[in-house]
Amino acid sequence: MGRFDGLLPRLNWLGVFVMVALAAMWELVVSFEVAALRFLPAPSEIARAAHGEIFEGELVGRTIHTVGVTLLGWGVAAVVGLALGLALGLSPKAYQYSMTSFEVTRAIPPITLVPAALLIFGFSLKMELVLVIFGGVWPILVNTIGGIRSIKPELRDVATMLRLSRIGTVRKLVLPAALPSIVVGLRLALSLCLVLAIVAEIVGNPAGLGNGLISARQSLQPPIMFVYVVAAGLLGVALNAALGLGVRLLLPGGHTLRESP
Amino acid sequence: MRHHPAQSARTGSTRLSEWLRSGPLPGLLPLVVLLVVWELRGTSDSPFFPAPSSWWPALFRRGQGDTILPAVADTVRTFGFGLAAATILGVALGLSVGASKRVGRAAGPTFEFARALPPAAIVPVATLLLGFDETMKVVVVVLAAIWPILLNTSSAVRGLNPTLLETARSLRLSKTRTLFGVLLPSVTPSVILGIRVATPVALVITLLVEYLTAVNGLGALVGDAQRTFQPARVYALIVIAGLLSLIVNAAVRLIEDGVMRRRVGDLR
Repeated sequence: MGRFDGLLPRLNWLGVFVMVALAAMWELVVSFEVAALRFLPAPSEIARAAHGEIFEGELVGRTIHTVGVTLLGWGVAAVVGLALGLALGLSPKAYQYSMTSFEVTRAIPPITLVPAALLIFGFSLKMELVLVIFGGVWPILVNTIGGIRSIKPELRDVATMLRLSRIGTVRKLVLPAALPSIVVGLRLALSLCLVLAIVAEIVGNPAGLGNGLISARQSLQPPIMFVYVVAAGLLGVALNAALGLGVRLLLPGGHTLRESP
Repeated sequence: MRHHPAQSARTGSTRLSEWLRSGPLPGLLPLVVLLVVWELRGTSDSPFFPAPSSWWPALFRRGQGDTILPAVADTVRTFGFGLAAATILGVALGLSVGASKRVGRAAGPTFEFARALPPAAIVPVATLLLGFDETMKVVVVVLAAIWPILLNTSSAVRGLNPTLLETARSLRLSKTRTLFGVLLPSVTPSVILGIRVATPVALVITLLVEYLTAVNGLGALVGDAQRTFQPARVYALIVIAGLLSLIVNAAVRLIEDGVMRRRVGDLR
């Protein structure tokens, strides 16, 4: 957030106006049938469908499902990624004897694991969770290791000088120094977890926003499908904003959520 | 790695054993152990975890062998076109968004929202509007891979030293010459960083589109193997996808290093 002067914390009126103008243009294009896009619903149709999905349909329940799975998977991925990252970042021996394995496994595009997860776990919540966790672990792991390994050696000298215990060193020096990098990893992981949850819902677990999307697609109801697309986008924005807010509240050290390689 | 003066005097075999010990190879240990255990515990007809030795033959069973290379070619083509288009569009949009504060503010929320759209959610819409074809695949890849490039370009432009543009103005360079002679060269490192981040995204999204729509490519092949219950074939294709991703990332890195080195040469 922030790079584009995002929606939070100040409202960007010019930007909102552009969005509204784009929607109005879209409405005009569809109602005057300028473009030959048979299936493109007008924003007013989408708004009507959204009203129906919120008050009579399953939009709310499906959103809760997707948010729940995303956050649960992200939480587990954070614990696993941080623990593994700490171990590999702190012990050169562990790093030497396992890092290549992680690099190779990480190279596997998570999407190709969907079929394997489907074969093993079937069309289930378990399959969705496994996928979300697998995808979320890597950015956290890599950024934790990177954050720890790029700590300046002087800082370790400080720890020796202060006679900090091993745990004290990790808690008081290593973690705070690696925190900005870890936060970037957590942020990348969160959007990945959401994407993977929706993929899993589209092809596997019949629940959540992904399922709403694909059911609407299959029953040829484009307005409802667009409702779910917009809901997924808004959910992405909301999760990102919540994470940014959480980081700002919990870590007052001015850690910015910068995008990084 | 440490370099002692004495090291050069050592024989090749010691250097090899040194590399074996401290290079990337020892890191493969856990993976090798996992695969060996898997091989010993698994059978070739297990519905969940077929033994690794059965993966390779499964690729060629029932005359499916000659579908692999064309599928890889399809995947690489979509990936290549998608990444190239994302780079061109991302740099163009990034330059215009970064150059003017007002344009940045105007486009901000729209971009923020478009960026947050999960690509998986775009796929059903794209198939509905564009149909099941190559164009649809590339469009989805561009929509997902453009953001790192666009963001990196726009923030690089915003962070440019104002003196640079003032110099261009006082030298009365034309707009085109300022763009190609001053602006583009100075944002190149940031663009390259963006491309590096966008590369794995583009590949994953290519496979995602293929898997979801079964148009063509490696992703469609994996989906087909899953739907016809051929677990060994699924695992073999996962390995191929992993190798492809390693190769593609290494290739992009090589090209970028080449560009960067030429750039450094230019500046000298």
